[in-house]
Amino acid sequence: MEEIINKAVKTKRLFNELYIEVRKDDFKEACVYLYGKKRAILRLMFATDEREIDTAFKIYTVFSVPGTDKFHIIVLPLKDDLIFPSITPDIPAAHWYEREIRDMFGLTPKGHPDLRRLVLHDSFPCNSFPLRKDWNITEPELKEWGKGLVQKEPYSFMKVEGEGIYEIPVGPVHAGIIEPGHFRFSAVGETIFFLEPRLFYTHKGTEKHFESMSFFDGVKLAERVSGTSSFSHSTAYCMAVERMAGIEITEKAKAVRTLLLELERLYNHIGDIGNMCAGTGLAVGYAGGAVIKEKLMQLNERLAGSRYLRGMNEIGGVSKDIFIQADDILNIINEVTKEYKDFMKLLTGTVSHIERLENTGRLSKDIAVKLGVTGVAARASGINDDIRKAHPHLLYDKLDFEAHTMARGDVFARMMVRAEEAECSISMINALLENRYKGELAASIKEIPPCSSALGYTETPRGSVFYWVMSDKNGRPLRVKFRSPSYCNWPAVPFAVHGNIVPDFPLCNKSFNLSYSGCDM
Amino acid sequence: MIKQIFKNLTTRKNTIDVPELLALSPESVAHFVNLQKGIDGIFNRSLRIRQIDAGSCNACEWECTALTNPIYDIQRFGIDFVASPRHADMLLITGPVSRQMELALKKTCLATPEPRIVVACGDCAVDGGIYKGSYAVTNGVSNIIPVDFYIQGCPPNPMQIIIGIKELIEYLKVKV
Repeated sequence: MEEIINKAVKTKRLFNELYIEVRKDDFKEACVYLYGKKRAILRLMFATDEREIDTAFKIYTVFSVPGTDKFHIIVLPLKDDLIFPSITPDIPAAHWYEREIRDMFGLTPKGHPDLRRLVLHDSFPCNSFPLRKDWNITEPELKEWGKGLVQKEPYSFMKVEGEGIYEIPVGPVHAGIIEPGHFRFSAVGETIFFLEPRLFYTHKGTEKHFESMSFFDGVKLAERVSGTSSFSHSTAYCMAVERMAGIEITEKAKAVRTLLLELERLYNHIGDIGNMCAGTGLAVGYAGGAVIKEKLMQLNERLAGSRYLRGMNEIGGVSKDIFIQADDILNIINEVTKEYKDFMKLLTGTVSHIERLENTGRLSKDIAVKLGVTGVAARASGINDDIRKAHPHLLYDKLDFEAHTMARGDVFARMMVRAEEAECSISMINALLENRYKGELAASIKEIPPCSSALGYTETPRGSVFYWVMSDKNGRPLRVKFRSPSYCNWPAVPFAVHGNIVPDFPLCNKSFNLSYSGCDM
Repeated sequence: MIKQIFKNLTTRKNTIDVPELLALSPESVAHFVNLQKGIDGIFNRSLRIRQIDAGSCNACEWECTALTNPIYDIQRFGIDFVASPRHADMLLITGPVSRQMELALKKTCLATPEPRIVVACGDCAVDGGIYKGSYAVTNGVSNIIPVDFYIQGCPPNPMQIIIGIKELIEYLKVKV
């Protein structure tokens, strides 16, 4: 570590974040050192427009070394020359981040193997970078955008050529009740040879939208980034803002947040296991999962007034003490535990179901590590990575649990990891309800310190979520960057479906259960 | 599996109750909603819905999916979700309509045979909701295609969607 720090222009420490500002020549070397020598995981990479404060664009790459509760953040300022060395050839996990930085800021990664646009589609005007502070779009351009009348920067899909290969384009509007995305399969007979997903249809300009509201109102937006991870997203966002403001939330608030995070994980995991049955045509399993999920959703509604646990988080703590309703939670959890065990027995005892899951959609550990896959998908491929363990927050350091892993990396492994985690969540909920917690529900924060920044993170049901916030001179948001787990996992889906048959694609897709909205920002 | 079938045959108990807030059980809803006549008259016995996500956060979609679960079981009213807009009587659109989905939404709408009903479901679809004013959204479905009916809520829960559909049918009865 000394090697990098010696070369640093300046360093800054904040909680477990270590910011290391480097010169352009040392940037790549520093990143590759962390990734190659220290086996660090690339958690997040983003740019900021700090021209008003520091007369420069800055690129931040956030690494965490396994086994330490520390984030190493390599910072590269770009003053006049808006080109930075691409780290993708050495760290493949950076490939989407760098393309996104180019789309949103116009900073070009030199040496990136694929410089097509990622976030913005064809009809978005060229040389227009939404996240720059001085960006604005003219009314006529805004009208043209989306109509498909003007092709401003055409997107070329990768072509697979050869005897017997044909293309199947699917989407963006799909047959089921799911989110929009375009998939282009190149198939040989029934077997998928290559899949290229084209996402970002639901791009809503969320990061820019955060900048237009205050930090306090941002909680509502964070809750609406990804529907089924509403509470995790708002928790990570609140955590980032609280760390930036330098306040510690009370034990009570921590307990409520931990409990709700586990409740969210539970309904998601059980719902996902049920949904996988829809992929194999096991209607009874699908219905069974849906009934248990509905019970938990109705519990959520009684606790929070929202089936998606919205409105519970606020900056500084939580809005309601759900420990008053501990009996209700315990009753439902006991009921659910019993039904869930029967449900799993039914699924694992159904040969036709399990046979479809085994050896389908295999994601190797090697590829998962290279692409920086996170969450259930990573743990099912043998990567022991869980933010709750790696970077303990809230009450997770006091709870007894394990990160469950499986080595085989197929759909079955992803189902079993979910099943084990669901049981783990149940025991954590029970453990949390046994104790009493002291303190106010929320600490009051009136002002946000100017020109400061911090990182917030937690584990959603899908994987790790990160928020990085920075305030400007007036204490308003200068930049809110978030990275949902789906953003890391989408690039892995084409590798998992390679060699599978086209009808198994929905099953593979459901086993990852990725959010389009969270990924598309 | 056999155990499950046996249980279903012998017990007549509801799986779970519908939220107290609405003070309705699924059976009373069937009575209360009494959709059948309306559907018989207007849609020739069945109402087929095509759900389109135009940039929603996915919460509205899950509530639509929940409509088909054993508790709400919307199929018993003769209502179902279909895979293709060509089979649909009604488009249920969620999300603030992101600009990158605008074209796809228009094409899907054109692919739906006339007469079609367009329903904007959820606060985002009504007027953009929390995303109102962002550069990448168009602030609601009505800015893109004409909307016949709105269902509010963020997200509207399954019961609110059923009640919304019931109100829509009553509204159509008056109109037709």
